[in-house]
Amino acid sequence: MLSRLSALPRTAWSRLFLDRQAAFWLAELSPTLAPGERRARVVEVIDETADTKTFVLAPGRRWPGHRAGQFVPVEVEIAGVRVRRCYSISSGASAPGAATIAITVRAVPGGRVSPWLHANLRRGSIVGLGDPAGEFVAAPSSGPLLLVGGGSGITPILAIVRDLAARDALGDVVVVHAARAADDAIGAAVLAALEASHLGLRVIAHRDAMEGTLDAAALLAHVPDLAIRTAYACGPAGLVALVAAAGPAALHVERFVAAPPPRLQDPAAPVSIRLSRSRRDITAAGRGSLLEQLERAGETPKHGCRLGVCQSCRCRKVSGIVEDAVTGARSDAPDEDIRLCVSIARSNLELAL
Amino acid sequence: MNPLAAPARTLTAAETDAFGAELDALRAETLADLGQADVDHIRRMIKLVRYTEVAGRALLHFGIGPLTFAVGTTALAASKILENMEVGHNVMHGQYTWTGDPALDGARYEWDIACTGDDWRHSHNYEHHTFTNVLGKDRDVGYGFLRVSRAQRWRPAHLAQPVGAALLALLFQWGVGAHDLHLDETLRGEQSLAELRRRGAPFAKKAAWQLAKDYVVAPALALANAPRVLAGNLFANLARNVWTFAVIFCGHFPAGTEVFPVTSIENERRGDWYLRQLRGSANIEGGRAFHVMTGHLSHQIEHHLFPDLPAARYPALAPRVQAICARYGQPYCTGRFAHQLGSVAKQIARNALPG
Repeated sequence: MLSRLSALPRTAWSRLFLDRQAAFWLAELSPTLAPGERRARVVEVIDETADTKTFVLAPGRRWPGHRAGQFVPVEVEIAGVRVRRCYSISSGASAPGAATIAITVRAVPGGRVSPWLHANLRRGSIVGLGDPAGEFVAAPSSGPLLLVGGGSGITPILAIVRDLAARDALGDVVVVHAARAADDAIGAAVLAALEASHLGLRVIAHRDAMEGTLDAAALLAHVPDLAIRTAYACGPAGLVALVAAAGPAALHVERFVAAPPPRLQDPAAPVSIRLSRSRRDITAAGRGSLLEQLERAGETPKHGCRLGVCQSCRCRKVSGIVEDAVTGARSDAPDEDIRLCVSIARSNLELAL
Repeated sequence: MNPLAAPARTLTAAETDAFGAELDALRAETLADLGQADVDHIRRMIKLVRYTEVAGRALLHFGIGPLTFAVGTTALAASKILENMEVGHNVMHGQYTWTGDPALDGARYEWDIACTGDDWRHSHNYEHHTFTNVLGKDRDVGYGFLRVSRAQRWRPAHLAQPVGAALLALLFQWGVGAHDLHLDETLRGEQSLAELRRRGAPFAKKAAWQLAKDYVVAPALALANAPRVLAGNLFANLARNVWTFAVIFCGHFPAGTEVFPVTSIENERRGDWYLRQLRGSANIEGGRAFHVMTGHLSHQIEHHLFPDLPAARYPALAPRVQAICARYGQPYCTGRFAHQLGSVAKQIARNALPG
């Protein structure tokens, strides 16, 4: 009884729809006030190279702070659809409620989000922010460091170097900055300036166009004491593999690129399905919709019309490819909602069931 | 157009498939075209709901005299109607779930009416939209107590149905709210009291809060104006009840709509399903504002063919659907509001009598 009484204000808040009223009117006042969502305002857009921009964001009072080298999910609405992508934060560590943070984004040709950000974000634009995450962070007393960044993979390295500089901890740090050409090297000026003012920082600018792709011999020539250094590598898979093979004292890697897309299979081929909520793995075989396959495997997913009408069987597809049995449209991006009754499995899948 | 003038041509299996394929193509084309304009529309509607509600409640709470009372009550009624029909009903169908906006997520939206969102998603999205107008399967055919077609067996109780229908009009949200409780089955002894209690618990809770909102909390906040606020809320709720009743009854019960025996859905092909949706539904003609105020249920035919397409798309789809129907010799039941409403009244009166 007492617990019900103490829950009364909360219950009333939602049962009288005051939560929805508050959300609406706060968002009417300012989009950054909308409760339940963390929204940042773009305060500055900086051209880094021909295809890379830095967006300085005011993340607001709800920003939880981050460690240098972490990334943050950024959410924008493109043609009415909310989409999320993770970007490394290129500014140094931030405290909760920090005034600004920065993300540095290369426009990936043919990409859905990054070219849109370049074309549409300007001073005053609003973006959604998720929780910063990632373990690509330098421990405060890590001894001699080797930081290797290739292409846009330099962005978390920039954050780490900025952070170490701010904490006056650039004791013995070598940065290998690989880029195609000088006008393509993101943050080269920042690194050069920090190198000039910090004796413990050495920056090796490797430009593929002049010197060819970085190889083991060149890396060891640049960093002869590589074996005693803790290495941080971020960039193309080849570059990361090169650093790993060179044998640093320890290696931390940030992988930008999502896992390779799953292999497209014949509609009739058996696929394995991971049900992430119930933590079961099943094999779906035979013709028919995913709903039918799941039922044949002994699962009892929530469903209704079996026609693709009522939406009762809508669930989150974490990964994999499915095809709409009616329209033939494919869902191959991770984290999309699908309707089991009209979806045909075209690869191994993970479902949030 | 008199729907009875052109009886439905019986299609061959191949024609049925082709008919279905044409509608599938129309749906796919619209799905591929969804974008910013659709989201902008529904957000504009939500804005309209909020602003009319605040305007209505402010006029009722702080106004003096009958004019502000009438305007305030009208604004509040309009807000409630829009929230239920153009926003709630359509969002809960999943028409805007593709946006990824949690406020527009069909599985989570809770509308501001006595019926719970989850009960509605089951009894309406699943049962009614899957088994549309199938006797014994679609509990929306007469809502368990009205005889709206001669195909339904007559019982003496039907003699009183004109009065029953009028009462339902006044209390419509409570009828909708209690619909998924299967009260009629308990009365017939087919459902236990315990099962009724289990089904009814979420509804009872929501209903209590709905009553508290309009008849306790809002009047209490108005202090001396409490009676005025209470009356305004009551009239606004009554107006919404009568309006939604009228629109919804025009959707499936005017002359020209059909009901189907349960055998008709055995081995039903996709094209057959479309045909049943078409023949079981009726449109109401009107202007843009009228369509919006009905939540585009005035385009009941398009809604039943494409329940998960954003409803604001229906007016543009209607002439194309009508053209497809004409090519396959299928009737397309539509008419002015007064005409359809008169037809429904006639059906209810006619079917109150045996035969």
